Amino acid sequence: MRVEVEDLRFSRGPFTLRGSGTFNAGVHLVSGPVGSGKSTLALLLAGLLRPGGGAIRRDGVSSALLLLQFPEHHVTSPTVAEEVRSWGLAPDDVLARANLSARANDDPFHLSRGELKRLTLACTFMRNPDLLMLDEPFSSLDCTAKRKVCRMIEERDAGITIIFSHERAVLPRVDALWEIEAGTLTPLGHVPDAIPRWRHAPPYLRYALDRGARPENIRLTDAREALCRTRG
Amino acid sequence: MIRITGLSHRILDIPDLALDARHIAVIGPNGSGKTTLLSVCSGIEEPDEGTVRLLGRPPSAVKVGWVGEFPDRTLLFSRVYDEIASTPRFRHRPCRETDERVRAAAERVGIPHLLERTVTALSGGEKALVALAAACVDDPDVLVLDEADSHLDAGTAERLRAVVEASTAAHVLWCTQSMDTAAGADYLLFMEGGAVRHHGTPEEVFARLEETCFYPTLWRVRQ
Repeated sequence: MRVEVEDLRFSRGPFTLRGSGTFNAGVHLVSGPVGSGKSTLALLLAGLLRPGGGAIRRDGVSSALLLLQFPEHHVTSPTVAEEVRSWGLAPDDVLARANLSARANDDPFHLSRGELKRLTLACTFMRNPDLLMLDEPFSSLDCTAKRKVCRMIEERDAGITIIFSHERAVLPRVDALWEIEAGTLTPLGHVPDAIPRWRHAPPYLRYALDRGARPENIRLTDAREALCRTRG
Repeated sequence: MIRITGLSHRILDIPDLALDARHIAVIGPNGSGKTTLLSVCSGIEEPDEGTVRLLGRPPSAVKVGWVGEFPDRTLLFSRVYDEIASTPRFRHRPCRETDERVRAAAERVGIPHLLERTVTALSGGEKALVALAAACVDDPDVLVLDEADSHLDAGTAERLRAVVEASTAAHVLWCTQSMDTAAGADYLLFMEGGAVRHHGTPEEVFARLEETCFYPTLWRVRQ
């Protein structure tokens, strides 16, 4: 199972997105500054935008799902339970998982931003698509909820997971790193070899790298363990 | 001085709180009442009970600049220039002064190239910067940021921090989910279940949160 991006080119006004690379099974993290093209790339990979040049080829991918950055953009139903049904899912399971069972009959727009994010995340993971794209899954969440999302990502045992994020504190274990800057997508390769090349590394990881530590992965615990090894 | 007395409003229950510090970070779990506190302190909501005084006055009598987490919900105009110009225009500033203020605010925030653009064509982070410029354009006395850094990358978040630092506001109330950002504040409020559970300097408050994930990652690796 994989998604191949070949000489991709997409323009909108003065902005052009370009790049090549292969997304194999596993967890990929795409990081980059605001306005660099992360969300545009997500829409292209999801097939919601058509590339102006080049190709995006899916191989062995039978289902795909994109979780949008702003959870309210997913809402189509007047109650929380109906919203879950609109994803083709049974409300009981999903609401228990999102810790929202008591809110089944409420208007989705009466949920707090963190609650609505939890709802859309729970729906997305329950659908368990082959290709899962998560656009800023951590924004609006507190650190406890971010950790739960990391667990859900790490527990997906098959398929391709692509995270578009600039999260700098709570990150999951990943298999590959990508950067996108001023519209250019660059594959950095597999973890841990790619970590020292990662210019958008969060401050704790940068701190560890600057002290000669070689973290096995990108989480805070990986940075701390690597530092312990160098400190002896 | 921000003074809260006998406040009871929705989930909030704050008997007495006096804040002298300039840069105050508000942290805590989702649903702990952070946004409600900021709304009451900005005069967006009137408290059911109790009083809030900013600089000795009710919030409605103070110039407050607000930057929310979802700029889509607060942006009123379709062109970036008009959005940033809205506050000086609503205050009937002369056209030339309005224009100077808009260009200066856009310059400070680093978005002069976006002034003629349509708001809907901007990325999420760019919209946050437009909201920041609009909040700062008329030199607010109090600047309020409600998880405004939630959708920003490191470079843009740093620019946000620098603009806030350089603003002339007497108080900055900054709600954030980044503990590394909160560690740079003068004073911290940790909220839980509508109450201010801990308050003090970042050292004092984070010392009580060391066992939780509400702790700066950089402090964790430096230990």
